[in-house]
Amino acid sequence: MHPAVSVILFTVSSGAGFGLILMTIALSLMGWVPGMGPGQTLVAIFTGSVLATIGLLSSTAHLANPKNAWRAFFRFRSSWLSREGIFAVLFYPVILVYMIGLWLARDSGSLPWWGLLSGLVASLLALATVFCTGMIYASLRTIPQWNSALVPANYLLLAISSGTVILTLIAALQGIELTVLSGLSLVLLVIAGLAKLLYYIWIGKPQGPTLNTAMGITRAKIKILESGQSSRSFLNKEFSNQVPAKTVKRMRWMVYLVGFVIPAVLMLVVFQTSLTVLPLLAVLLLLAGLAIERWLFFVEARHVVNVFYGQ
Amino acid sequence: MSNRKSRPGVSESATAMAAVAKTMPPFEDHSQQEKHYTTCYMCACRCGIEVTVENNQVRFIRGNPNHPVNQGVLCAKGNAGIMKQNSPAKLRKPLMRKPGTERGAGEFVEVEWDDALALLTERLRHIRETDPKKLAFFTGRDQMQALTGLWAQQFGTINWAAHGGFCSVNMAAAGLYTIGQSFWEFGDPDWERTKYFMLWGVAEDHASNPIKLGIEKIKKRGAKFVAVNPVRTGYQAVADEWVPIKPGTDAMLALSMCHVLLSRDLIDWGFLGRYTNAPFLVIDHPGHSDNGLIARDADGNPLVWDQGKGAPTNGMMPGAEASLFGDYTLPDGRQTKTVMSLIAEQYLDERYAPEKAAEVCGLDADTIERLALEMAHVAFRETIEIECEWTDWAGRNHDRFIGRPVSMHAMRGISAHSNGFQTCRALHLLQVFLGTIDVPGGHRAKAPFPRHIPPPVKPAREMAPNTPLKSPPLGFPTAPEDLVVDDQGKPLRIDKAYSWEAPIANHGLMHMVITNAVNGDPYPIDTLILFMANMAWNSTMNTSQVRDMLREKDDNGDYKLPFLVVVDAFHSETVNFADLVLPDTTYLERYDTISMLDRPISEPDSACDAIRSPVLTPDRDVRAWQEVMVDLAGRLGFPAFVDDDGKPKYKGYTDFIARWEKAPGIGFLAGWRGKAGDKPMRGEPNEKQWDKYIEHQGFFQHHLPEHMRFYRHVNKDYLAWAKEVGFNASEAPIIMELYSEVLQKFRLAGQGLYDGPLPPDEIDKARLVKYFDPLPHYYQPLEEQRIDPQMYPFHAINQRPMHMYHSWDSQNAWLRQITAQNFLFMNRARGESLGIADESWVWVESHNGRVRVQVKLMEGCQADTVWTWNAIGKQSGAWGLDKDAPEARKGFLMNHLISELLPKMDGNDDDERRLTNSDPITGQAAWYDLKVKITPASADEAGTSWPQFDTLQPLPGARPSPDQLRYSTHEPVRLKRSLMDIIMRRS
Amino acid sequence: MKLGLVIDLDTCVGCHACVVSCKQWNTSGTLGALTDYDPYGKEPNGVAFNRVRSYEVDEYPNNKTVNMPMSCMHCETAECVTVCPTGASFKREEDGIVLVDQDKCMGCNLCSWACPYGARELDQASGTMKKCTLCVDRIYDMELSEAERQPACVLTCPTRARHFGDFDDPDSNVSVLVRERNGLQSMPELGYNPVNHYLPPRPKPNAPIHDGGQLEPLTDRFKKWLNKVVVR
Ligand SMILES: Nc1nc2c(c(=O)[nH]1)N[C@H]1C(S)=C(S)[C@@H](COP(=O)(O)OP(=O)(O)OC[C@H]3O[C@@H](n4cnc5c(=O)[nH]c(N)nc54)[C@H](O)[C@@H]3O)O[C@H]1N2
Ligand SMILES: Nc1nc2c(c(=O)[nH]1)N[C@H]1C(S)=C(S)[C@@H](COP(=O)(O)OP(=O)(O)OC[C@H]3O[C@@H](n4cnc5c(=O)[nH]c(N)nc54)[C@H](O)[C@@H]3O)O[C@H]1N2
Ligand code: SF4
Ligand code: SF4
Ligand code: SF4
Ligand code: SF4
Ligand code: SF4
Ligand SMILES: [Mo]
Repeated sequence: MHPAVSVILFTVSSGAGFGLILMTIALSLMGWVPGMGPGQTLVAIFTGSVLATIGLLSSTAHLANPKNAWRAFFRFRSSWLSREGIFAVLFYPVILVYMIGLWLARDSGSLPWWGLLSGLVASLLALATVFCTGMIYASLRTIPQWNSALVPANYLLLAISSGTVILTLIAALQGIELTVLSGLSLVLLVIAGLAKLLYYIWIGKPQGPTLNTAMGITRAKIKILESGQSSRSFLNKEFSNQVPAKTVKRMRWMVYLVGFVIPAVLMLVVFQTSLTVLPLLAVLLLLAGLAIERWLFFVEARHVVNVFYGQ
Repeated sequence: MSNRKSRPGVSESATAMAAVAKTMPPFEDHSQQEKHYTTCYMCACRCGIEVTVENNQVRFIRGNPNHPVNQGVLCAKGNAGIMKQNSPAKLRKPLMRKPGTERGAGEFVEVEWDDALALLTERLRHIRETDPKKLAFFTGRDQMQALTGLWAQQFGTINWAAHGGFCSVNMAAAGLYTIGQSFWEFGDPDWERTKYFMLWGVAEDHASNPIKLGIEKIKKRGAKFVAVNPVRTGYQAVADEWVPIKPGTDAMLALSMCHVLLSRDLIDWGFLGRYTNAPFLVIDHPGHSDNGLIARDADGNPLVWDQGKGAPTNGMMPGAEASLFGDYTLPDGRQTKTVMSLIAEQYLDERYAPEKAAEVCGLDADTIERLALEMAHVAFRETIEIECEWTDWAGRNHDRFIGRPVSMHAMRGISAHSNGFQTCRALHLLQVFLGTIDVPGGHRAKAPFPRHIPPPVKPAREMAPNTPLKSPPLGFPTAPEDLVVDDQGKPLRIDKAYSWEAPIANHGLMHMVITNAVNGDPYPIDTLILFMANMAWNSTMNTSQVRDMLREKDDNGDYKLPFLVVVDAFHSETVNFADLVLPDTTYLERYDTISMLDRPISEPDSACDAIRSPVLTPDRDVRAWQEVMVDLAGRLGFPAFVDDDGKPKYKGYTDFIARWEKAPGIGFLAGWRGKAGDKPMRGEPNEKQWDKYIEHQGFFQHHLPEHMRFYRHVNKDYLAWAKEVGFNASEAPIIMELYSEVLQKFRLAGQGLYDGPLPPDEIDKARLVKYFDPLPHYYQPLEEQRIDPQMYPFHAINQRPMHMYHSWDSQNAWLRQITAQNFLFMNRARGESLGIADESWVWVESHNGRVRVQVKLMEGCQADTVWTWNAIGKQSGAWGLDKDAPEARKGFLMNHLISELLPKMDGNDDDERRLTNSDPITGQAAWYDLKVKITPASADEAGTSWPQFDTLQPLPGARPSPDQLRYSTHEPVRLKRSLMDIIMRRS
Repeated sequence: MKLGLVIDLDTCVGCHACVVSCKQWNTSGTLGALTDYDPYGKEPNGVAFNRVRSYEVDEYPNNKTVNMPMSCMHCETAECVTVCPTGASFKREEDGIVLVDQDKCMGCNLCSWACPYGARELDQASGTMKKCTLCVDRIYDMELSEAERQPACVLTCPTRARHFGDFDDPDSNVSVLVRERNGLQSMPELGYNPVNHYLPPRPKPNAPIHDGGQLEPLTDRFKKWLNKVVVR
């Protein structure tokens, strides 16, 4: 698939944003992070909302006819994209209420019940939004590399882990104790990394339709002779990419190194030393790693249309 | 609900559809639309079209379902007419080479029509008054040769021909000298009845839609379809059996099948004995002038051996009991043999045995034998009969037509080789063995064919100033006396047609005109008019050097070809070389005739012709060449075009067509003749004829009565009618010439034995002896004979893409989206064995030059063959295309590799006479004899084809080509979905 | 009704007539105009509803070439419709034709992702998704004669490889063809249940050879032939 920058930015940024919000609310509700009062939480929630918004806005950049974007809210019944949009939009008033609650509670330190409730609901909406994003891809039978429960699982895990690392950074900037956060980050990064590994192993085996099933001719090998078009059409531009297999392989290592291993190591160091500059580095590397991961997610996805072009 | 006949039950859904239709908005405002019927000319198939026009723009072009040629269907080109009309490459006004600039530099100034025509008239008047042959008028992919030929005849120059010489004269000539009709577009397989169809060397052909319609019919019927072709694409893709033959060897295959049939006695003896010259006696008198001629009685009738009488007798006498075989002595003591004996001796020879043929053709012997026996089975065991009373030439009544339902079609895979004439004759021999000519299920002629063998028209030779030629420039020689040579035996025509080098060049040798004119061989000319021919590019051989020739100057600094007039509708590569450009209309803007005097569009069951009438008014200062020719003819005072006072007789083209008569009652159009328009085929001119055509959707179809539909070569009523309507000069039966006495006369001349003109040159003598075998034979194509097969191991051929017409569709925005670059295709395993990767770049080299091209590897290609799509490559800047269009930068022409002259014989000295690279009998250009070698190109050479030429400049007044198109003729009427439906429904 | 096409792979010669006919009809049709990009330039391409590709089955010399036209299959389980967030994509209840409401589409491409057959192409100029309409603006135009109320591609096909009809009607031409010729769906395993069907290449016809013509020594043959007489 063609890796559109806007879509990469969208999924990484909104994933991280929603992950951050989700984890912040969860942790603050649980009270697991000492020193994270409503004020500090508010900063994290606000940052998460900004990230989510950047992501959502950039997602509209890939619409060819954005003036009709508002119509995307009418197909909740069947379309994951519509559902994602609806959850994302519902998220905003709720998170606003939650933020007001936090604001009011910044001195008292205790959230009113509606603050609590809105936090809960907002985190569920964030969760749902990320899940829908994953499902947009996972529901496509046309792309075997996406058509799996591993995809929403990956989206969720990456959202949560990147959100947690960012939260670690926010905590670090606010001088909060980092042991829990960095420890959690480390654990989540390892889990997400393993899940991604599982995904890579899974897409490693050949799958999906072939020219034989496309043409109903099973007796022999089929090759394309002429594509009937003199230059690349929409179908080729959208559904194929010309990235060499070597680059793809190299990029996978990059994803692991930049997206998982180094941030995890950094988190390990933070866990033991609470050095505050390291979370910043971790966030930057992680986001870059995720961008590459998302780029690969598209590049490695092989839409069945390519079968007709003999690819 | 489909183009099949509706089946029971379909009406159910028709009702359902009618109900739904009520809920639909009116998508088209039919009140704003008009439908016109005319004839397509996106190619020479000439299908009937219905053009819907809206706001003076074409809304839609549809096949006319009533039209005999295409029965409602339309090919990709025909469907792309809108984008031809929209082409940015359309010429807009007459142009002259800018004074002081060099020819080919592409600098032009616009001129007014009056000035252009005045200038041209003066030049032509001078030529006509002094030496008419100094005008050469050659036409390319036109279809109005009857008019251009008449014009040249009236001008008085023998230097006229159309594209047939480089196209497929081999097919026409072989047919007309053998069976009185032919493949090409003059006969058709009996699609309705045939049970076995063999297609030889055809990728698309002129009968583009009819062949496709036909293939579907035979496949539906379960008939077998065999394709003989080195390449498997297009028609061959759907063939039941593909025979990947080595190029240039089809004669061997056909004659080997004849060998099989003979050796098993599977021959239609009755057909052979009655309708062909098989029983004729051939004089066996070695070393004498009558050797090999047909024995004749005092009146010139051919003799047969009458078994009953035990004596020779007039073979044209009904009831003669003719022996098919044997040696007989004539009363005067001369020895004779029947033609059939000669045939049996020649083809039973081991050299035509399947095992031998298999080696030559690259096939296996079993396949050759099996194919022959499969056809024999269908011909003799699946015979069909049509009950119908008919009378044969001798007045005998028959109650049925016997049909042997094996049919064939063949085209340029056969004709574009220098052995194509004899190869095509071999195919006809095979057809005749099986008794399949003009019988139900076989190969059927289309009016005005069959004609006598050959048609009784001799090429003009004598010329005089200001005088029309006595006969048309082109005709059918039957003996050395008919050659168009001077007393020394030197060619008289600029293309050397009908000279000893190409005696039966029925269509001229257009591919030699520029070379000969520039070399002054046989003489220099003054003006060359090219109409509808891209001779500086894809229709010339040796393109690069021919382009240089067009620019060549003599010692005085004058162009060796002094004046070049190009009549074209678009900015082609050749337009760039013109001194004067006359811009034509498009096919949707003009009147035209598709005449039976020309290349007819008839069907086996009906005689047909058609017209074009304007659908759109031109938005440019252009004129139809038809009009211009009639205008020029009047200005120059051609006798047929002026009245007694020397004033132009015709108001214009349509007036000329309606009133001019070739013979009393016969004109260009056969429909609605007679004062009242009630006479089909023949009758006085009718002023309202054009209106009648327009009223009848632009075509005329005269159905033959059933009893005149088969065996027309010997069908009394048909023959009488054919004479009556002017197709043939006599009612005599048409006896097929398996043995060609005409060829034998030329061979005798080569042997120095002929009682008449003899060739002066040794080269010609040897060629006449070698190639003019009166019986079809196989010989290696001429270029191959002179080329080292080790050095040049591959055959290189072309195919027509179904969706592109020669050079002129690259300007079509819709068609070039399908193909804008051609590749060199080669057999995958073979390519890989040479280390050539798919899509890599290679050098292709012939004895004449080299080109750099991109390769595609494929399975369906004979291992010693490479091929490409024809005429996709373009000169940068031509045809309204961007200078870096793939056609120019990646596409290529095979033509650079093909020489118009044969390579020199090994070890021969320099002043050896260079011979044309053509069939030695007909002068047909031998495009597909090409042999090449292939070597990988280096990495830094990859990416662009070679050679590259300068980018052509845009013409004055040209409109820039747009970056984006959004063609439509009206605002779209959208179908909407309600919000309710969106919210409520899951799908 | 369940309207759709049957395409005969046994006769399709890959001529592209249907491709261009579709283009010329539909560029002024209900989803028109269909934009062409760089029409005279380096990369000519444009919106097409129907494309024809050629394939080679097996290897030389046993190879067979098969041409395969593809347009929207008007799938019964049209995921292109379910994924569409705006509802611009829809499958008509009356006849099963899958369409895109140009006034509602936001150009997100998701439906084209969901289509396995490459039947949907985004028009960059309008920013909306375009696809085969089954010539809804021809087949229901009662001002056209019944014979003309067919998709443009069906009318034009020179090998009559394309057939249009109602698959709900067991007696319709398309249903009969699919039954008689074992018509098949492309990529059935994806579960889209395409309405359009392809007729596979027919088995080679049985071509018996003439077994009567016996070989005999040539001398005998010639002896017999010597007596061969035909009355002229
Ligand atoms: N679409 C389209 N239609 C056209 C034209 C066009 O340009 N485009 N041009 C028109 C013109 S002018 C002409 S003359 C006709 C020509 O129509 P065709 O006769 O179809 O001409 P080619 O495309 O040259 O096809 C020649 C075929 O013969 C095969 N071949 C080559 N050498 C041999 C051989 O030695 N033996 C055998 N058995 N096969 C061989 C080639 O592979 C190819 O398939 O088409 C006309 N129709
Ligand atoms: N290598 C190779 N070369 C070949 C062949 C091959 O198989 N291989 N085939 C040969 C054969 S068979 C043929 S017939 C020739 C064909 O070659 P040409 O006869 O040269 O045919 P085209 O290239 O189609 O176009 C001729 C010119 O007609 C112009 N034209 C188009 N429409 C009109 C019109 O309405 N009016 C006027 N006045 N002009 C118009 C076009 O713009 C173009 O410049 O090519 C030959 N060349
Ligand atoms: S075959 Fe095609 S281009 Fe040629 S006349 Fe017919 S419709 Fe037109
Ligand atoms: S028009 Fe018919 S034969 Fe031509 S490509 Fe389309 S389906 Fe095949
Ligand atoms: S072919 Fe594609 S666009 Fe057409 S209905 Fe099926 S999924 Fe939708
Ligand atoms: S591109 Fe248009 S039709 Fe397709 S899914 Fe998006 S909104 Fe729907
Ligand atoms: S049915 Fe109409 S819209 Fe669909 S492919 Fe055929 S011509 Fe195009
Ligand atoms: Mo030709």
